[in-house]
Amino acid sequence: MSITGLIIHTAPKNAASVQQAVEALEGTEVHKVTHDGRMIVTVDNEDDGKATQTFDAFRSIAGVLSTSLVYTHFEDDYGVGEHQS
Amino acid sequence: MSISRRDFIKTQAAIAAATAAGTTLSGAKIAEAQAHDDTIRWDKGACRFCGTGCGVLVGTKQGRIVATQGDPDAPVNKGLNCIKGYFLSKIMYGKDRLTKPLLRKTKGVYDKEGQFEEVSWDEAFDVMADKWKEAIKKKGPTSVGMFGSGQWTIWEGYSASKFMKGGMRSNNIDPNARHCMASAVGAFMRAFGIDEPMGCYDDLEHADVFVLWGANMAEMHPILWSRLTDTRLTREGCEVHVMSTFEHRSFELADNGMVFTPQTDLAIANYIANYIIQNKAYNQDFIDKHVNFNATTTDIGYGFRPEHPLQKAAKNPDKGKFDKVTFDEYAAMVAEYTLEKTSEMSGVPAEQLERLAKAYADPNKKVTSFWTMGFNQHTRGVWVNGLVYNIHLLMGKISEPGNSPFSLTGQPSACGTAREVGTFAHRLPADLVVMNEKHRDFAETTWGLPKGTIPEKPGYHAVLQNRMLKDGKLNAYWVQCNNNMQAAANMNEETYPGYRNPENFITVSDPYPTVTAMAADLILPTAMWMEKEGAYGNAERRTQFWRQQVDAPGEAKSDMWQVIEFSKRFKVEEVWPADLIALKPELSGKTLYEVLFRNGHTDKFPVQEITDNAGNVYNNAESKDFGFYVQKGLFEEYREFQWSGPKKGHEMAPFEAYHNARGLRWPVLDGQETLWRFREGYDKHVKPGEGINFYGKPDGRAAIIFAPFEPAAESPDKEFDLWLSTGRVLEHWHSGSMTRRVPELYRAYPDAKIYMHPEDAKERKLKRGQEVKIQTRRGEVTSRVETRGRNKPPRGLVFMPWFDAGQLVNKLTLDATDPLSKETDYKKCACRVVRA
Repeated sequence: MSITGLIIHTAPKNAASVQQAVEALEGTEVHKVTHDGRMIVTVDNEDDGKATQTFDAFRSIAGVLSTSLVYTHFEDDYGVGEHQS
Repeated sequence: MSISRRDFIKTQAAIAAATAAGTTLSGAKIAEAQAHDDTIRWDKGACRFCGTGCGVLVGTKQGRIVATQGDPDAPVNKGLNCIKGYFLSKIMYGKDRLTKPLLRKTKGVYDKEGQFEEVSWDEAFDVMADKWKEAIKKKGPTSVGMFGSGQWTIWEGYSASKFMKGGMRSNNIDPNARHCMASAVGAFMRAFGIDEPMGCYDDLEHADVFVLWGANMAEMHPILWSRLTDTRLTREGCEVHVMSTFEHRSFELADNGMVFTPQTDLAIANYIANYIIQNKAYNQDFIDKHVNFNATTTDIGYGFRPEHPLQKAAKNPDKGKFDKVTFDEYAAMVAEYTLEKTSEMSGVPAEQLERLAKAYADPNKKVTSFWTMGFNQHTRGVWVNGLVYNIHLLMGKISEPGNSPFSLTGQPSACGTAREVGTFAHRLPADLVVMNEKHRDFAETTWGLPKGTIPEKPGYHAVLQNRMLKDGKLNAYWVQCNNNMQAAANMNEETYPGYRNPENFITVSDPYPTVTAMAADLILPTAMWMEKEGAYGNAERRTQFWRQQVDAPGEAKSDMWQVIEFSKRFKVEEVWPADLIALKPELSGKTLYEVLFRNGHTDKFPVQEITDNAGNVYNNAESKDFGFYVQKGLFEEYREFQWSGPKKGHEMAPFEAYHNARGLRWPVLDGQETLWRFREGYDKHVKPGEGINFYGKPDGRAAIIFAPFEPAAESPDKEFDLWLSTGRVLEHWHSGSMTRRVPELYRAYPDAKIYMHPEDAKERKLKRGQEVKIQTRRGEVTSRVETRGRNKPPRGLVFMPWFDAGQLVNKLTLDATDPLSKETDYKKCACRVVRA
């Protein structure tokens, strides 16, 4: 399980459409949108690998200027050995 | 209303994000979550990765780190994380963590050709000490050496340097920071006589113009980049100039993005100086009072082995001497770098170069320049660092908010450890050097050693260590906290033969079985990051401490523990000549442990209970084992170099202050940190009325040093027709030994690939994703072609990251170095790309 808290920056005029697109993604929740266009978002995933895919998806939403990761929590997860090709 | 644990964590995550955004959340859930005292213990720490030095809060539950968050109280990152920092809590938990020493053995005894077998620490150190003693007996102290790290904590680097230089009497200790920051150090010493940037990260909020010279901050220093982005978007008239040999993510924000032909940064910097002079834009008053003019010795070779043809062809190999010239003479030297000529050499359109020059020359614009490996990993790295100081000094745009030539660092403690405590082959703590008798005297007195203990001659630097291993002159060798088999250039011809030379015994300390560890004879399992009490110093001179949060797995021990424990195996008689011991007969019969650490001075602070303000109690494995507060003893001894040594300017606060503060920027004088050095009002070393004092130099003046364009060591030709540049990507840090063990980061960027211009690919009949061979005169590596994505090379250049142990790009790279800094140029060699 992985839970993330992050900030998505957008221009205020795009905030509504960005919020809609963010909430359409699996496991996401928008907690607040500030007047200057910063969105407080959490991402809750069963599968840890999904988290980075979700962050990538944020980047490709029209109107997203940047995303800033803030908080992370993992449990019952033991890492893997190095992958070598 | 009750909330589930999962909701609770989610609410915590939302609160943390809101705090970092400077806003608050409301509602019943929030109130409950804030009132709820979860089982997670939070404490401050510093990120394990890059030189930015972000503060993180580390969440521990039942002896395991389960959560991290950007520290909202950390001035560097103000609560934010980059993607690597975000996954920090996972770096210690890779399933192949090493927990026992491993020695190559056949039939129960050490054998260089044997297989790794688990052994006890006693057996490991017995075998290792025998090999070290044998080497010293046969060939003297120059036959032993150590390769350390800008990721060592401050006391790890300090204890290792003391052990090697003051104990083993060998200056053959060098950090991997040689590969990353040595050119920056060289230029600081030449121009200012004292190391590290005069400015600080606060410049990010004060500049009108940002110039990136060979730094991809968007990927390599993402948090600093987010601060820069904020300023660019909110400060009226703010502009960003980005220079690189290929287009990368930082170009997305650039107002003036410039792709130049490799090596012509030397010409561009001189052109800007020429523009400033031609237009009489320079700050005459500043120049008259605070600067002198010089020209450096030219035609200095490329740091190859002496028999290399290019080395033989050089008129003044390795010469760094520079001589005073007049302003007019300097002006005449830069005069040949006209706009037309520079545009032609660099391939950058004239109007773009001129726009950049105008920004520097505008007296009303504050300019901050940033650079990292594009400048440092350069066969003329010291020169090119200096050429940017020249520009800032001509304009007097230095040492004040927003006017800042700023050398960024790659490693978390390249500054705090590698540079400041003297882990380079020629350095001693606090900017002292082994070549200076007064400096050696001071170190020997402080360490309680007889005069003459520390050798006068600099030891083998990083690249030379590999050559000397191969040549059989360096025989007992210890690698800590780095992955140099993967990192050092020209692995096929130098590093690997050196490690596997039958004459040598190689020890590698690492948490994981890296490429380097697997090439060793003995592997020592190492405690990492939060498994020990630590301290790092970042690029803005900020020293940051953390407490030991968790215990290391199995028998893993910190690098410092390993060095101190190993020192118990040597009696002074086994490593020092009799006439040296005779100078201090009270040391005879003692072990190096008793001489260097358990000596009544370094061990003067007793073991104490480590607590935070909330009353939580923390372990300290080293203090428990050795019976004194090791970290405090070493740090306070190091402070004697800063406060009583022959060079001022490096003063730090007492040990305890750092466990309370979110880091402090040195010099810390009268309890206050220094944000901008050398300027009255900011730096207490500058007396009232002086205005500016470059006090690292005896005359208080900074040195403008002319250096010309000279070509790269290897350029594309008919046979090898492309430039090859190497570097990092956002998701991975250095050789990937930590980040590739985090599943999310691995999946985000699993394997290295080679970035190529679509036309170059087409010409070679290569398609995107196709398997290819990259070949140089030194080796061959298989990868896949990428013609899209984050890096867009121009025609004639390819870029390949080096994090991937499955695609060792350093089989390809050239071990040419800057002859002055001895730092490798990883950005320029010639290759060809063919179908696999």
